[in-house]
Amino acid sequence: MNYEDWETVVGLEIHAQLNTKSKLFSSAPNSFGDEPNTNITTVCTGHPGTLPILNKEAVRKAVQWGHAIAAKIAPVSRFDRKSYFYPDSPRNFQITQFDHPIVIGGTITCLVNGKEKTLTLDHTHLEDDAGTCRHFNGFGGVDYNRAGVPLIEIVSKPCIGVTPKEITAYAKMIRAILHYIDASDCNMEEGSLRIDVNVSVRKKGETELRNKIEIKNMNSFNFIEMAIEAEVRRQINLYTKNPDKSQDELVPQSTFRWDPESKTTKLMRLKEGAEDYRYFPEPDLPSITLTQEYIDEVAKGLPELPFERNKRYMEELELTLDQSITLTQDKKLSDYFEEALKTCSNARNLCNWIIIEFQGRFKDTGMTLYESNILPENVAKLVNMIDSKKITGKIAKSVADDMVAMDGKDCEVIVDENPDYQPVRDEGLIEKLVDQVLEENPQSVEDFKNGKEKAFGFLVGQVMKISRGKASPSLVNEILKKKL
Amino acid sequence: MSQIDDTTVANLAKLSRIAVTEQETKSLQKDLSKILDFVELLDELDLEGCYLCNQIIKDHKHLMRDDVVKDLLPRDAFLKNAPDHMGGMVKVPPIIKKD
Amino acid sequence: MYEKTATELQHLFVSGQLSAVEITNYFLNRIENIDKKIGSFLQLFPERTLRKAKELDEKKKSGGKLGKLAGIPIAIKDNIHIKGERTTCASKLLANYEALFDATSTRLLEEEDAILIGKTNLDEFAMGGATEYSAFLKTHNPWNLACTPGGSSGGSAAAVAARLAPLSIGSDTGGSVRQPASYCGLVGYKPTYGRISRYGLVAFGSSLDQIGPFAYTTQDMALIAEVLGVHCPHDSNSLNHPKENIQGQLKQDLKGVRVGVPYHFLTNLSDEMKKSFDASISVLKNLGAEIIEINLKVLKYAMPTYYIIATAEASTNLARFDGIRYGNRNQYAMTLDEVYDLTREHGFGAEVKRRIILGTSVLSSGFSGSYYKKALGARGRILDAFTTSFESCDLVVMPTAPTPAFETGSIQDPVSMYLMDLYTVHANLTGLPAISVPSGFAQNGNPIGFQMIAKHRQDGFLIGCAHAFEQARPENIQIPSIAKEAV
Repeated sequence: MNYEDWETVVGLEIHAQLNTKSKLFSSAPNSFGDEPNTNITTVCTGHPGTLPILNKEAVRKAVQWGHAIAAKIAPVSRFDRKSYFYPDSPRNFQITQFDHPIVIGGTITCLVNGKEKTLTLDHTHLEDDAGTCRHFNGFGGVDYNRAGVPLIEIVSKPCIGVTPKEITAYAKMIRAILHYIDASDCNMEEGSLRIDVNVSVRKKGETELRNKIEIKNMNSFNFIEMAIEAEVRRQINLYTKNPDKSQDELVPQSTFRWDPESKTTKLMRLKEGAEDYRYFPEPDLPSITLTQEYIDEVAKGLPELPFERNKRYMEELELTLDQSITLTQDKKLSDYFEEALKTCSNARNLCNWIIIEFQGRFKDTGMTLYESNILPENVAKLVNMIDSKKITGKIAKSVADDMVAMDGKDCEVIVDENPDYQPVRDEGLIEKLVDQVLEENPQSVEDFKNGKEKAFGFLVGQVMKISRGKASPSLVNEILKKKL
Repeated sequence: MSQIDDTTVANLAKLSRIAVTEQETKSLQKDLSKILDFVELLDELDLEGCYLCNQIIKDHKHLMRDDVVKDLLPRDAFLKNAPDHMGGMVKVPPIIKKD
Repeated sequence: MYEKTATELQHLFVSGQLSAVEITNYFLNRIENIDKKIGSFLQLFPERTLRKAKELDEKKKSGGKLGKLAGIPIAIKDNIHIKGERTTCASKLLANYEALFDATSTRLLEEEDAILIGKTNLDEFAMGGATEYSAFLKTHNPWNLACTPGGSSGGSAAAVAARLAPLSIGSDTGGSVRQPASYCGLVGYKPTYGRISRYGLVAFGSSLDQIGPFAYTTQDMALIAEVLGVHCPHDSNSLNHPKENIQGQLKQDLKGVRVGVPYHFLTNLSDEMKKSFDASISVLKNLGAEIIEINLKVLKYAMPTYYIIATAEASTNLARFDGIRYGNRNQYAMTLDEVYDLTREHGFGAEVKRRIILGTSVLSSGFSGSYYKKALGARGRILDAFTTSFESCDLVVMPTAPTPAFETGSIQDPVSMYLMDLYTVHANLTGLPAISVPSGFAQNGNPIGFQMIAKHRQDGFLIGCAHAFEQARPENIQIPSIAKEAV
């Protein structure tokens, strides 16, 4: 099987719930996880005689998203009715934007394996979400809490010759941007971010795109990557093993889901002919007309975006690519870092302490550093103490443990209160240790005298070792220098 | 297009989610054919370059509301109208999963 | 008391000569005795009605400020919500549906101390021209019980014509207020689209529907139009037009008013209708109006355009009636599919089903989907034609209906029924305000109506001109004999 002859074509379709207080066309609360049918009005339950009224905050968030991806904001856009019958649809039609969306085009840029890659978007439109159906033994239950929640649907152009890694990088960047502009909670488990992909393959050199299938509702980025890989293999196998069959036979229009157990894509349903949604302009809502003043004003409120922040971290703060991405992928984490940076000048160390040491300590607790009571200034202080050699790195780790255990207690206080953390300052004692090390390591002394700088560090390390990390590093340095 | 057959009527009724009887299908077929003949009159119009008039009061500015929660429908009032409900949800016969 | 206009009744109440309870009991009594022959009311709620009347009397006693409609009983078409009462839309599907909120219209009426006296009969979901398609009741024309009162707001028209209430409100999507008004010898008005809120009106044709009142006189019409014509934040298409003093715009003559007549459109009228129309034109001339011939030839396409748009919108507006969240779910439905298919099959009447399926077809891409786009284009053309006409005239006039009220059951063919809307649909397509005023009687004693159409937002001007016409021919305002019967 020669996969080299084939190229992958993937389209991304992302539904993101906007985190407005109320729904798109109804003033019911936009909230997840509450008792069924407690976040409803007569409008979002489709009662007769009700009419939709557009939420201005949803429009603003959609426009801000458009600015964040350098898209064109349509000065006039329109809503349409999309008809289909299903119990979670209170009116049996969805109000969406079919051919005049509010945001046109746009690009997503991110780094994949260190290289800049760009995704071209087709458009983004506003629409309302459906309720939820729960399936029980012998009956179904419908909850309209989610019905009417504002969604933006982000649709990309087909990416030809793309890798699954790139697709997930784009999806992660989209999530990060939505977070940065505070447009969505982007919680894949709760369903506020839903990612679907369209996948097809074709032989390299072909000019037409072949039939695609849709893979829906994968709720982790890992799954997305694996699903695309698996599906690409599946389609290539089908084409290769059945050279006489047509693409309509082998890859008919259908919807798949990812099965994490078998690690394969599984057919959900065939799409027999395009569903007739009978789109037509929504007569209850006039067109959305936006003035240039409004469009410009929304642009002003745009915060620093993840890609720009990433660049700044790497260029100005000299963080590595990995450090930078880990921080910028999570806005709250990088905001925390920036706050700490105000009182700490060692960006690299600070970053490592945050993303490795502290986040590592919170990893299995279900909480994050920025949700805890450990203030950014506190972490900054810790790093400062290490840099000023007031404490050693080893001691700092214990202090960090204490900071977590003691719910954000000030690190300087922790150090002052615990004698074990006080570096040994007894000059006499240190001198003895230094003498001992010098005696035990004559070769290193020789090396240093011959110009090998590294030997000094080695000797310092040895003193720290026998003092079990408790000697004051600055004193050790001082005394050792004198002796040599 | 003026001749609309029984199969088309049946398909349209399915799309409209109405379980029409055979008898109804026949009378619908007659009625719809007549109405559609009448609708074909529009073919006489040259609508080249015509704007799609879906908003008749042209200078009407869209009304938008502030992002404020209000006018909640209490669950009891909502379920009171529901033909069947259980555990706070509207109850229906088993639903064939869509996704 | 039944001879009093609404305006007069309000004055009698405010001056203390009549109490609200007296007025209410009087009309409830009339309804009880006369309505069995007419069938205009689907529902009465005397407990609520009398309670409100008592409250109003108490308010008056304690010196509270009294509203512009204080003490006036008003009938409400049963597709408009009164919170806590049933809104059936004359459909089996909603026979037990209880409204969860007040329509803006009914709220505004009650805020002005009107007494809401009952819900009136209609064609099911407002689809029809004779009130023959109600699932529950047939309404008879008070002028001739063998004839229809028109539709779809037949109940509201009949109630006022028989003087069972001095005012009522209905809804007009293709003529459903104006045509029954002309058949019943009343003033019926369809506002500029968006002038009166649609919140609480069960939607049929969203871009066409408007709530419209029925009254005996243009003075009464001006009164109720002022109350209802306000901006509503629950309706996105509600006009931002300030409240209007319409009673102050009632004209005594039409000097300086240019009236456009599309004569080409009236060639198929019967001799009787032509004669009546010509007489109405003479009235306008005598009032000082200038009569101009105008070209509205594009109106030939108004009917098909209307039916495409109305049924398309209706097919989606009625999709929500599926027996899932409310309404009468079919008791035999075992599967989810059956809930939808059987509830709708047995809950809807034949005309409603016909229109839903037609609407589905005009939107369906595989079938005749391009007709919807064509209809939108034609709609624009029709609007343009009126805009052009309004450059040379201030009012456009024509008969309200091609004939006076016809015999119940005499029109079976759906297309022939639709043609009764010939002169009314374009006011809905264009959103222009239109009014029907009584303009005489046919040989058989059935009333004939005369229609005036004005520019967008010229509702006050429209009703003002109608007043001049009415004042010139006071003999057109009559009371049918059934209303005069001893009770």
